[in-house]
Amino acid sequence: MSSAFPSLRTRPTLPAGGVSKATSVYLRSSTTPVHSSVTSLNSLFNQTNLNSPRPPEDEDCKGLVRRSFVPCIAVHVADDTNELAREKGFADFKDMLRPYGESIQGRITIRDSQGISTTHDDYGVRFVSLTDVAGSGEKWESGASRPMNGSSEKAANGGSGVFQGGSVEEVEELVNLHMERAEELNETSLPSDGDAPAFNQSFYMLYLRRILSALPLSPHETFSHPVACVIATSSRNANPIDSLRNLYNSGSRLPLPDYLSTDYLRYYVFVHDEDRDDIKKSTQLFDQMKKHFGLHCHLLRLRSGGASVISDDDAVVVPKSQWISAAEELHGIHYDDQQPTACLPDSDAAGIQTVVREMTQVSVIPFMERCIATWNDQVASRRRGISGRFISMSKRYFSTSSSRNSTSSSSNYDALHQSYPPSSPEAQMRKLADYAFMVRDWRLAHSIYELLRTDFNNDKAWKYHAGAQEMAAISLILTGTGLTSKVRADTIAPMLDLSCYSYLSRCSATYHALRCLLVAVELLRIRGGGAADEAATWAIRARDMNAQGTIGHALITERVGACYTIREGIGSGAWGARKRKAAMWKMLAAGEWLEVAKLAQSRRCLDAALPAYRGSRFLHVHGFMEHLKQQAGYTPLLMDLQDGRRRKGGEGGGEEDSDDEEGVEIQSETLHAGLKRKSLIVGREVEREVENEAESGLNRFIDC
Amino acid sequence: MSFYFAIVGTKDNPIYEAEFGTSKQGGDGVARFREEQRSMNQFIVHSSLDIVEEVQWATPTMYMKCVDKFNNLQVSCFLTAGNIKFLLLHDQKADDAIRQFFTDVYDLYTKTLMNPFYEVDMRITSGVFDGKVKQAAKKYL
Repeated sequence: MSSAFPSLRTRPTLPAGGVSKATSVYLRSSTTPVHSSVTSLNSLFNQTNLNSPRPPEDEDCKGLVRRSFVPCIAVHVADDTNELAREKGFADFKDMLRPYGESIQGRITIRDSQGISTTHDDYGVRFVSLTDVAGSGEKWESGASRPMNGSSEKAANGGSGVFQGGSVEEVEELVNLHMERAEELNETSLPSDGDAPAFNQSFYMLYLRRILSALPLSPHETFSHPVACVIATSSRNANPIDSLRNLYNSGSRLPLPDYLSTDYLRYYVFVHDEDRDDIKKSTQLFDQMKKHFGLHCHLLRLRSGGASVISDDDAVVVPKSQWISAAEELHGIHYDDQQPTACLPDSDAAGIQTVVREMTQVSVIPFMERCIATWNDQVASRRRGISGRFISMSKRYFSTSSSRNSTSSSSNYDALHQSYPPSSPEAQMRKLADYAFMVRDWRLAHSIYELLRTDFNNDKAWKYHAGAQEMAAISLILTGTGLTSKVRADTIAPMLDLSCYSYLSRCSATYHALRCLLVAVELLRIRGGGAADEAATWAIRARDMNAQGTIGHALITERVGACYTIREGIGSGAWGARKRKAAMWKMLAAGEWLEVAKLAQSRRCLDAALPAYRGSRFLHVHGFMEHLKQQAGYTPLLMDLQDGRRRKGGEGGGEEDSDDEEGVEIQSETLHAGLKRKSLIVGREVEREVENEAESGLNRFIDC
Repeated sequence: MSFYFAIVGTKDNPIYEAEFGTSKQGGDGVARFREEQRSMNQFIVHSSLDIVEEVQWATPTMYMKCVDKFNNLQVSCFLTAGNIKFLLLHDQKADDAIRQFFTDVYDLYTKTLMNPFYEVDMRITSGVFDGKVKQAAKKYL
């Protein structure tokens, strides 16, 4: 991608006034080299609303983590129902439900294992197609999630292949595309000081979100295993009850991976077509359905009238899916060029929202609560009790005396497939812990992960072991109890360390290791104080892992700086703050962005780094910063604006007029402007000295 | 093994800088930093001041040993009574040798401070000082 980007082009040196700005917009769009992504820029725009402000919770990392581990609901519907959704402009029925599942309207009440109810207003569920789950089973190992063969053919059909997350390269490619887009927008508009931090954050947030989106199906964690399955048919069907029954059977017969437990909840939805069919008949059918299938049923009333019936007034825009995998978004950018924004009539949107909400609140959550209670009673407590300990101990000590084979036979771990069968207590406990995690009962989840850690270690089930370590650390941070530095050093650090080691060295699962570290970094970072320091350490570890390409590397470098920035000092001297460290990492990031020709991003990093080095009299530091500034075409517009404002506030606007930028000879101005300001602090003589030094440093850098 | 040594004044300003290599194990005492590493050295030393400012309140001694790490590089610090920091960037652990080196340099610095024409935070340009620091480095590092 970056090869198509014109490398290191300098910024137009003319001040961007009204007219020149307009012409530069025009020029840029006409001179931009045409490559594949340019043709789809429109769709890129539609897909991800780059220009509209991202929702405020985007900054909320804890929320991001909480909302990324949510129940996954499979969808298995009759063809007629898919047809109905297709008429409305969606790929299939799942596609229609999905955006509404991501943020469920209203509050969801969950009772935890202690019987205490808590309400969450940011709960969500993910919808996946059951056939996709079946299809992706054998692919998770290789990590190849892009539909390699026949992807164009699938695109032509209007359907989509199996998209799975878990590919670091795809996430990077996507972020790169977004960045190029933003660079072009940015070249033509002046940065205002308000949006700078948001801009900086959003790319990393996008990166993180896509890493956490569409978690790949894997035996060692059950977040992407379906908790429930929606079985739907519509009133167009001649014999809906039979159709539902057939769907039930065909869903059970699908070749799901062995490690997948099939005793998920079935939820039946009957879709009534308002414009074609009679509601009385549908109600009758629905009552019949309730009799056959029990309480987990819902009647969804949709209109199928098409554009002629639906007026513009009551149409609402369907929200874009925030949690689609990078592969899917890339696919959308590359192939579906002119996809119109989907709209639904008001009543339909409300209907879908209700069905999703009802399903989650009335069926899925209670189902999960019941599962948690049952497994907690039957499996976990047995393991926790004296006898359980004895059994596990005896297993450990007596079976190792005999040969290897007997070890594997006495444990439930299937070394060949590297998985536990879903009925084994270990698999059930992992599922219990994951369910507890998904209903946000961190304490219970943590205690179960703790138990599992040792079990998996004894069985040498390394991927399971790594996963349990990862989640144990994360759930411990999320419990919100006082994380003293002792707990962090003695408990969390070794867990994360072991998890990374197991993921990387024993399973070569770089994606999972990266995910584990990045999530831990975010959670530690928002705790501030000493934890932020550790967050930076882990971020550096993730950076050194080399699992990611240049874009990811630079993003994480920048994030290290952000981790240090968040740490605040004490007292007037701000003792213990990390402003110099933050500046260094921002500077490093600026250098890395330059290498991949992301000038705007580089400039933003410089904006953050320069204040710390402004008065610096380390020769090489000064020279290096000047060099970077020159390379990035940096103009200190943003800083001077802020600076001037600050001084105006502080000193009543005395002497800042002298170094207002004229904007004509920006390159030479930067040097002088910076130096003049310094002259307020240090003497005239020193200024000359520094100037000479800076110039010599600069020359040396230009030479080399 | 190469060293980068800086004396940093009270306003984060370097008042003396030197580079030298090891003289132990047949080293010739010449620093082998690549050109881009030179600027990185300064960045690392500068950023470690954050840690120094935190550690100084918790350490009873003037010599704080290794305060910071960056990749395989370590920064050792010695804080004088007048809030002048001696920072040494090195890549191998050698606590005792560095302590002795710092003690010698502290001696030299105090003598410089006694010069009536020298003020705190002024850059040290004396050739004698430079020579003696290099000598101490040769002796201990």
